[in-house]
Amino acid sequence: MAPVIRADDLEPDDVARIARLVPATPSAYHRLNPLTKATIATFGSIGAFAVGGYPGPIAIISVMLAFAIRAGALRPLVRAALLLTLPIAISVVLVSVFTRAGTTVLFEIGPFEATREGVDFAGQTLLRLFAISLSIGLFVLTTDPRAFVFDLERRGVSQRIAFIAVATIEAVPTLVERVRVVGESQRARGLDAEGSLRARLRGLMPMVGPVILGSLTDVEERSLALESRAFSRPGRRHLLWSMPDTAWERVLRWILVVGLSAVIVMRVAGRI
Amino acid sequence: MTDLKFEGVGFVYPDGTRALMGVDLEVRAGEAVAIVGGNGSGKSTLIRHLNGLLRPTEGRVLHDGRDIATMRVAALATSVGIVFQNPDHQIFASSVQDEVAFGPRILGRSPSQVDAAVAVALEAVGLTEAAATNPYDLGYARRKLLALASILAMDTPVVILDEPTAGQDSPGIGRVQRIVADVIASGRTVIAVSHDMRFVAETFGRVVVISSGRMLLDGRPADVFAEPAWRTLASTSLEPPYAAVCGAQLGLGSTPTDADLVAALAARPGPA
Amino acid sequence: MSPVEYDSTMLKLANVGYRYPGYATPVLHDIDLSLASGEIVGVVGANDAGKSTLCLVASGLAPGSIGGELTGDGLFIDGQPMAGRPLHELSTRVGIGFQNPATQLSSITGSVFEEVALGPMNLGLPQRETVARTKHALATLGIEHLAERSPRRVSGGQAQLVVIASLLAMRPRHLILDEPTAQLDPESTRLVGAVLRELAATGTSVLIAEHRADLLDGLCQRVVVIERGRIVADDAATTVLADPRLSAWGVDPPSRVRLARSLTARGLDPALLDGLA
Repeated sequence: MAPVIRADDLEPDDVARIARLVPATPSAYHRLNPLTKATIATFGSIGAFAVGGYPGPIAIISVMLAFAIRAGALRPLVRAALLLTLPIAISVVLVSVFTRAGTTVLFEIGPFEATREGVDFAGQTLLRLFAISLSIGLFVLTTDPRAFVFDLERRGVSQRIAFIAVATIEAVPTLVERVRVVGESQRARGLDAEGSLRARLRGLMPMVGPVILGSLTDVEERSLALESRAFSRPGRRHLLWSMPDTAWERVLRWILVVGLSAVIVMRVAGRI
Repeated sequence: MTDLKFEGVGFVYPDGTRALMGVDLEVRAGEAVAIVGGNGSGKSTLIRHLNGLLRPTEGRVLHDGRDIATMRVAALATSVGIVFQNPDHQIFASSVQDEVAFGPRILGRSPSQVDAAVAVALEAVGLTEAAATNPYDLGYARRKLLALASILAMDTPVVILDEPTAGQDSPGIGRVQRIVADVIASGRTVIAVSHDMRFVAETFGRVVVISSGRMLLDGRPADVFAEPAWRTLASTSLEPPYAAVCGAQLGLGSTPTDADLVAALAARPGPA
Repeated sequence: MSPVEYDSTMLKLANVGYRYPGYATPVLHDIDLSLASGEIVGVVGANDAGKSTLCLVASGLAPGSIGGELTGDGLFIDGQPMAGRPLHELSTRVGIGFQNPATQLSSITGSVFEEVALGPMNLGLPQRETVARTKHALATLGIEHLAERSPRRVSGGQAQLVVIASLLAMRPRHLILDEPTAQLDPESTRLVGAVLRELAATGTSVLIAEHRADLLDGLCQRVVVIERGRIVADDAATTVLADPRLSAWGVDPPSRVRLARSLTARGLDPALLDGLA
C-alpha cells in the first residue's frame, strides 16, 4: 500500500502538500512495509551465512533477484552487489584457493598449490557474500530511509536507535558528497586525481584525512543540533505520514523469523 | 602572468539546474576583482570554472588566450589557486607547516624553496608561532587563515578567495585585507567572492555583480555602489556599503568607502 | 549555594566556569549573564574568545551533551536550576542554532517542509499544530518556495534560513544563535534581524553571538563582550558598540561608529551623520 497520511484534522490543501512529500513507491515491493523489507533482508543475509553450501545461498540469490525484477531494480541492485562483493571476493579467492589445506591438487603456480577444497571453499564464500550483498542492497534500494525511521518510531523503537539505523543508510551519500568537496579542495592545490595510479595513491592521504575527520565532527555537531530539536524526548509523536502495515505482512514476518530461528538452531545442532 | 577570460560561458548542473548563463568576463593579470551576488546566484559555480573543477556546458574559459577545456585541474593549479570557504575540506597534515608545504611540494619546488614559501605564507597570516601546532588545535577562524596560507605558498599568478572574511574577527579581517593588497602589489591577480560590501569596496578595484547566473554590473566600486545602481543591487539581495548611502544622502556623489566620504566632505566648500 | 531569586522568565548563568572534556584548563570563567523575556542580547569578542562555548553552556548542551565540567551556581531557566535535567526538557525551553547549517540539517528528512516539522513532531504536537507551525516558520523566513525541495539541494545561505525556521517552529522561550548570518547575503541578514525583533516582541529572549557589529547595532538592547573566556563589558548596546576599546577586544565597530571616528580624526563633525541611513 502507498504511504498513508493521517489527515483526521488537516485541511485538504495541507493533505495535498504532504502527499507530494511522501517518498515515491513505484512498485509493489517498494510499497511493502519497511519492517517487512528489513526482515526479508535479515533473513536473506543471516540465512545465507548460516546455511552455507551451494543450494541455500543460490535459492536466496534467486529469490532476491526475482524480487528485484518485480521492483524494477535489477540492474542497479546487481551492480551495487558486485561492487560490494568484488574487493572481498578477490582477496578471498587468492587466500583460500592457494592456502587452504587439501588433498586434491588441481594446479600449481610457483610454490602455491590450488586444491579442490580451496576452490570449493572460495566458491561457497563468494555465493554467501553475493547473497548477503543482494539482500541488503535490495532493502536499501527500495526503502526510503524516512519511511523506515518513521515506521520504527511508530512501533515504539527509540528515536535514537531509529536515527542510528537511518544515519547508517544515509552515511553513503553523505560520504560521497564529502569526497567530492574534499577532492575539489585538494585538486585546486595541485593534487592530481586524473593522473597515473601512482599519483592517485600519493593523493590518498590528503583525501582520507579530511573525509574521516570531517565525518567525525559532522556526527558530533549533528547530534547536538538534533538534541536541540527535542530528538531524545520520549513519548508519542504524531507523524505526518507513515507506511501502512497489513495482516499478511505480519504473518510473513513471523514465518521468516521462525524459519530463520529454525535454520540457526539446526545449524548449531549440526543437522545442516 | 595569467589573463583570464570567459566567453559566453553557461553552465547547467547534471540535475538540470542552470547556474550560469552567457557570462562574458575578462580579468587582466594584476587586477583585484570582487564577485558579489545573493545566496545561490552562481558565484561559487563561476569560480570553479577558473581552474577547471567545473567545465562550461556552453562557451569557453581561456587562460592567456588558450582554451583550458583539455587541461587538467592539477596542471591549472600551477596558475590558479582557490581558497574554499570551509578549511576543513582540505586540512589533513598533522602540523601547520606541513599543511602549508603540501602545495609547493606537489608543484615540484625544491626543499629550500618550499621552506621559504612556507615561512612567508605563515608570516602573512600570522601563524608563524603556530608552525608546529596540529591544525585541529586551532580555532575555526585560524584554520581559515591556514587554508589561505596554504594557497599563498603556492605563489600562483591568480589567487581566488571564497568568502575570506566570513567568521573572522576585526584583526582577522585586517589581515585578509593586507594579504590581498600584498598579492596585488606583487603583480598577481586576486578574485574574491564576498557578502561583505565594506570589505569589497575598500579592498577591490573592480566589482562584478551577478544574479541568477548572469552578470548584472561590472565596474569600479564608485560606479557599482553609486545611487543609480542601488535598485539593481537590491534586486539581487545586495546593499551598498554604509558610507555610500551616507555620501548620497549628503549629496556628495558616490563614496563607497569611509575614506572616500571623508575626502569628499573635506573637499566640500563651506564650514567643515 | 546561596539562595538567589530569579525572574520566572529568565535565562541566567550564575557565576559559571566551564572546561571542555579532555582539557586541563577552563575556557569560561566567572560568567554572570541573564536574559530577560523579550530581550535581545549580543555577544561579541575576538576569535576563540569563548563566544561559541558561551552559547553551548547557555543552551545546556555543554556539559549536558558534550560533557566537561561546569563550575559555579549553574544554569537557571524560567526560574529553575537545569543541573541534572534531561536534555529533551532543556530543548523544549531553549533553541540553539550554530554556524554551519550543513550539520544542523537532520539528514533524515526528504524535504525542507519535513525538516522544519521535525522539531514540532518531536514535541509530540498534533499534526494540525505541526503543520501550522511549519507553514508559519517557512513564511516568516520567506522560504515557502523551498518547502518541497530536498534539504540536501539548497545553497548554504538557504540552509541557514531552513535551520532558523526549524528553531522557530519549536517556539522556544529562549533562542540562542551562534553566528546565524555567516553565509547570508545582506538582504537575508536584514530579514533574520527583523524576524528576531518580532520574536522578541512576543516575549522570546534571544542571545546572538556575531562578528558583524552592524547586525547587532539597532537589533540588540544589550551587548556583552567576551575576552579570553571572561565577560569584560556588559551594557546597553549603544554604549558597548561605541566603546573605544572595542577594536582592542577584536571587534570591528559598526559602520556608523567607524565612519564617525574617521570624520572626527579629520576634524569633521560626526554630527553630520545624524539621521542618515
